[in-house]
Amino acid sequence: MPCAAHHSFAAEFDGTKPVRLVGTITRIEWTNPHSYFYLDVADSKGHVTNWACESGNPGALSRRGWKKGDIKFGDKLIVDGYLAKDGSKFIDARRVTLPDGRVVYGGSAGDGGPGDSASQGK
Amino acid sequence: MGSIAAVLLQQSIAAVAADAQRRDPDLLPEEVSFLFGEEPKTPAAPTPRTPDGHPYLGGFWKGSRDTKPVGNIGKDLPGFKLPLTPAGDAALQHNLTATVDPEALCIIGGIPRHSASALPFEIVQNKDRVVFLYLYTYFREIPVGAQHAQDPDPTFFGDKVGRWDGDTFVIDSIGFKGAPIWIDENANPQSDAMHAVERWTRPDASHIHLELTVEDPKFYTRPFNYSRTWLAGKPGEGLKEYSCSENNVDRAHLGPGPGPIRKDGTRGYDVPPLPAVPPSPEAYDDVKK
Repeated sequence: MPCAAHHSFAAEFDGTKPVRLVGTITRIEWTNPHSYFYLDVADSKGHVTNWACESGNPGALSRRGWKKGDIKFGDKLIVDGYLAKDGSKFIDARRVTLPDGRVVYGGSAGDGGPGDSASQGK
Repeated sequence: MGSIAAVLLQQSIAAVAADAQRRDPDLLPEEVSFLFGEEPKTPAAPTPRTPDGHPYLGGFWKGSRDTKPVGNIGKDLPGFKLPLTPAGDAALQHNLTATVDPEALCIIGGIPRHSASALPFEIVQNKDRVVFLYLYTYFREIPVGAQHAQDPDPTFFGDKVGRWDGDTFVIDSIGFKGAPIWIDENANPQSDAMHAVERWTRPDASHIHLELTVEDPKFYTRPFNYSRTWLAGKPGEGLKEYSCSENNVDRAHLGPGPGPIRKDGTRGYDVPPLPAVPPSPEAYDDVKK
């Protein structure tokens, strides 16, 4: 089943706070209603913190060409998305650069997030 | 020279296409087409009928791009403005500021919310029952010709009874759970006094239409209407397993309400697309240490 939003993007994430994470994978949850992966991200001073990235469900990601086997612990990912409104180290992963260089859409259809025209009937 | 120029042009086009893909991947067309049906390209087939002569409402039904704003029960009212009573307005403010979207917590959305939703649904029908199957693995079974229960137990879909009025299937529902239920995706309220009357028709094989009247004297000063048409899905399309609570990490991060509502009545921010290179988290000083 294509990923379909079970909550509004704007209930959880701040569309005014785009962010890029560059980090190594520490955990993968290939689950419903969303998939999650977790990254160790170093800041400019070398301090490393762990971030959660929310993405579409496994079926949606697979159809976009992102299979579970495409990522593994220790791989480096570039993840562009939006910060959670609650200030935690948690983002909506809307554009993910996989280890092999492919870029896939990570969002949920119809969630009203930036770029999700489906939510406005377009 | 011509062929070299053509090759270079092809390479240039491919490079531009690859660059566009790198910057802005998007939903797959099939994901969008799962949400939206297509108008038939040839005149639609006539309304299918059951052996006893009633319209057959069964099928997989998908939204139309003409339904705007989707997820908003005030769609057909001027300015999308619902006739809230003071108690209704208080309930709305409570929903916006103090309740997390019940559906995101895997609580049944019920009706009318499921009828205002962007998500497709399926109907199966026999002479005794019309059954709605919803994407979140919820169902609504409407007995045909039954009477309302006396003092029904409150439920998310209400105590519902169906009857045929000519070619219209009428569903009358009372006995709903009370606040803080969201009547739609925009967190508008509904109370336990709500009475919903749905009039479903299938004018041809490709369309199903709803005329809904919501009466809720606790939260709304007068009854209001919601009208919508869905389009038949493709042969073989249907619902699949969906597990809402398998790994609901969201629960800990969702804020109250649906977030900002745009002028067009949908939910979301009016912001530019995701930048090609967004800043690192250090650009923001409100991330928890």
